[in-house]
Amino acid sequence: MAAKTIWNYIPPALIALDAMLLAENWYLRPQSAGSWFVVLVVLIGMTLALVLASREPKEETARRDAGGSVRRGVATAGLILAISLGAKLGVALGAVHYGDIALRATMAIVGAFLAVTGNAIPKTLTPLASLQCDSAKVQAVQRLAGWIWTLAGLAVAIAWLTLPINVAEAMSYLLLPSAILVTVGQAVWLRRAKPSAL
Amino acid sequence: MNSVFKALSDPTRRRVLQLLRKRPMSAGELSDHFVVSKPTMSAHFSVLQNAGLIEAEKNGRTIVYRLKMSVLEEALLGFAHTVGWDMKAQGGARRAALKSGTRLRPLKQEG
Repeated sequence: MAAKTIWNYIPPALIALDAMLLAENWYLRPQSAGSWFVVLVVLIGMTLALVLASREPKEETARRDAGGSVRRGVATAGLILAISLGAKLGVALGAVHYGDIALRATMAIVGAFLAVTGNAIPKTLTPLASLQCDSAKVQAVQRLAGWIWTLAGLAVAIAWLTLPINVAEAMSYLLLPSAILVTVGQAVWLRRAKPSAL
Repeated sequence: MNSVFKALSDPTRRRVLQLLRKRPMSAGELSDHFVVSKPTMSAHFSVLQNAGLIEAEKNGRTIVYRLKMSVLEEALLGFAHTVGWDMKAQGGARRAALKSGTRLRPLKQEG
């Protein structure tokens, strides 16, 4: 119960923190304000999704799953913010001597988040009655998408933790758009597939 | 996670998962691939369901089983299959068969 109450306060607290950082950057370093604005928009979007997911009349399990996944998303965003801020603070105070540690940690967490999300893709099942196309094809597409996102996420995380920044950046630019393209291609193929008897 | 390892340690259950990788199947379709009694098959389905590896859905008068494995669980299945993770499972299946009073027979060989 206490954990549930804490969860309710985390999204608004993150939004408030980001709004403060946005305001501070707006006055002190206007060139950095844009990225904080993007983070703020993402956080607000995720919080809205969390509210909608918990209010939408669904089955209890489905509602819990949807709420849980959005909460994980908000927690990851919070973790990225906290690590990024902590690393910047560490560099400013002289406790950390690697200037690129914030970027590396952030990108590694993004990669890990993609891997965890990809891992769960094949577990999200739509009821057979609501499927518009062949259930075997839907399953195949979900499995492939899961593998693609898990491997791409892991590769991105490992690349940002081990490789030089320019190589890791090039790998991310290559892997993530390719994963998006393959997933979109699969979705298009699935839309054209005919419904099956099952 | 323990229930997942338990579910994957049996060759019959692994075979069920491999069959479901192709497409969702009804209980009858799945049972046709094995030469074990229906209660034994149903016990296997229940272990897989409890581990969250498959999901049963009623479709008219039949129960359709669908794969519900994460990427990590699928990788574990592949690993278990490659390594032949069935030393303990033979004993487990024998115990399960003894409990249900059925006789263990070999799996059907497929062309």
